[in-house]
Amino acid sequence: MATNTGARPFFLWRHLNKLRWVTLSVVFAMLVLLPMLHVYQTYVASHAYDLLPPSEQRFYDLMEVLTSPFTGDPAEDLDVIKGTTWSGTLFGFKLSDPLAAVGQMAAGLTVYWPFLLTALIPVALTVLFGRFFCGWICPATFLYELNTNLAVWLHKAGLRVGTRRFDLRLKYLVLAVGLILSAATGSVLVAAVYPPAVLGREIYYAIALGGFGAGAVFFVITLLFDLLVARRGFCRYLCPGGALYSLLGRYRLFRIQRVVEDCNDCVKCNAICEFALDPMRDGFGQECNNCTACIAVCPTDALTFAVRVKDLPYQGPGHLGRRYRDLQAAEGGRQEAA
Amino acid sequence: MRRRGFLQRFMGGTVVMAAAALPYGLARLLAPPAQADPRTHLRPPGALKDDAAFVEACIGCGVCGEVCPPRCIRFYGREGGDHVNTPYINAAEKACILCNKCMESCPTEALTETPLLEIDMGIAQIDRAACYPWVDRGICGACVTVCPLGDKAITFEFANFYRPVVEKGCVGCGQCVEVCPEPSLPIWIVERSKGTVAPHTV
Repeated sequence: MATNTGARPFFLWRHLNKLRWVTLSVVFAMLVLLPMLHVYQTYVASHAYDLLPPSEQRFYDLMEVLTSPFTGDPAEDLDVIKGTTWSGTLFGFKLSDPLAAVGQMAAGLTVYWPFLLTALIPVALTVLFGRFFCGWICPATFLYELNTNLAVWLHKAGLRVGTRRFDLRLKYLVLAVGLILSAATGSVLVAAVYPPAVLGREIYYAIALGGFGAGAVFFVITLLFDLLVARRGFCRYLCPGGALYSLLGRYRLFRIQRVVEDCNDCVKCNAICEFALDPMRDGFGQECNNCTACIAVCPTDALTFAVRVKDLPYQGPGHLGRRYRDLQAAEGGRQEAA
Repeated sequence: MRRRGFLQRFMGGTVVMAAAALPYGLARLLAPPAQADPRTHLRPPGALKDDAAFVEACIGCGVCGEVCPPRCIRFYGREGGDHVNTPYINAAEKACILCNKCMESCPTEALTETPLLEIDMGIAQIDRAACYPWVDRGICGACVTVCPLGDKAITFEFANFYRPVVEKGCVGCGQCVEVCPEPSLPIWIVERSKGTVAPHTV
């Protein structure tokens, strides 16, 4: 009889998926809150309170209540957190998306070091953790995963949703085409098709500048693509940023891995995986975005984080499953016969 | 047979390339190229002088707009073409206050930190056929009063209190355009080479 090895995964890994939803929600809430704070700052800077209509005065009061514990002079002090996940400032520290750095290099065919340095920390984290940005921070992921839930409900209601599959390498071509087109047109084109950048700036335009820009329709089209053509299709097949993160995270140090002794081959992990990967056979490749849904769903705690630069090749059936027991029985019978 | 195999592979490759170019084509369709009126689309202060270099350097993050205290920086939208998501200022709507925050916050130095008097967003140009004091000794002086640079940038004509004259020190912030009460806007920010007096009156 196969038993557990005793090497249980760290108990908190099961709850990482909840933490991830908290992180995604906070990032999304910040993208909505920062433009509102900016509008509040402009009112403060122009001493406009008495000139505002009553609804705006209520907005002003609300923002004042939210920020007054942390700021003395809102017009200046609220400048410490600005921007979106595409590029922004955190307490005087500038951070940018690696795709922004690569896209800008391609557009100008120049290397501007001070800007590239702002992408250094994201690049380092990606080399360690792979596509963690896609699963944990990207504001578009927040909406895309809700979109997947919508697809599940539509499916239960009897409507057809997209289940097509394409070649996962298509996104690398999208990245290459984007960089070539950027160089040809002399503008950072990848910014116009990269959902987190699009979403961040569209939310800002909508709240602070009174209307959506060119990208809102594009984002809705990607949502429809995911819903009607392929589940999480944009992230998996088309996203140029996802392609860059996948390449950077190819030899990532931390990866999810199956503990074969604890697995019972129930395949729940494969069913839950948003990116349709194969956690049960360690088939992550460079695609996994560390969303940890598979760890959370595993009934026998057979998935954990490991420090390896490569996936383990298929380790055979899980030791708690029937196929393994049958194999063992057959082995035993053969040994008795011999 | 070999030719057919080659053709099939060629067609397959074309389809894959088209699929990869699809998002960019879509983004372009949503923001077709269009000519923007340069008088209503000034670049923010400190912008690289060569506009092509500016578009190459700008990643469209919108941080300059997000730190702007008068919220005067706006962004090219559906009419943008190659300029889509790059910043502009429409001085007639809301003018720059020369606070330097956008230059300090720009991560790519598309907006470069520039000393106040070296900023060059353009220069104010006055149409003397439309400005009240120039047409008929009207009493105004709003542009001269509001100018943040004082007599370096705009003064009254000698011995006449209300006829404004733009000086070489004007950096083109557009405060005068925003404040001008005349509905036909006799004052605009134009390129420096176009001079400070609208030509048809000279």
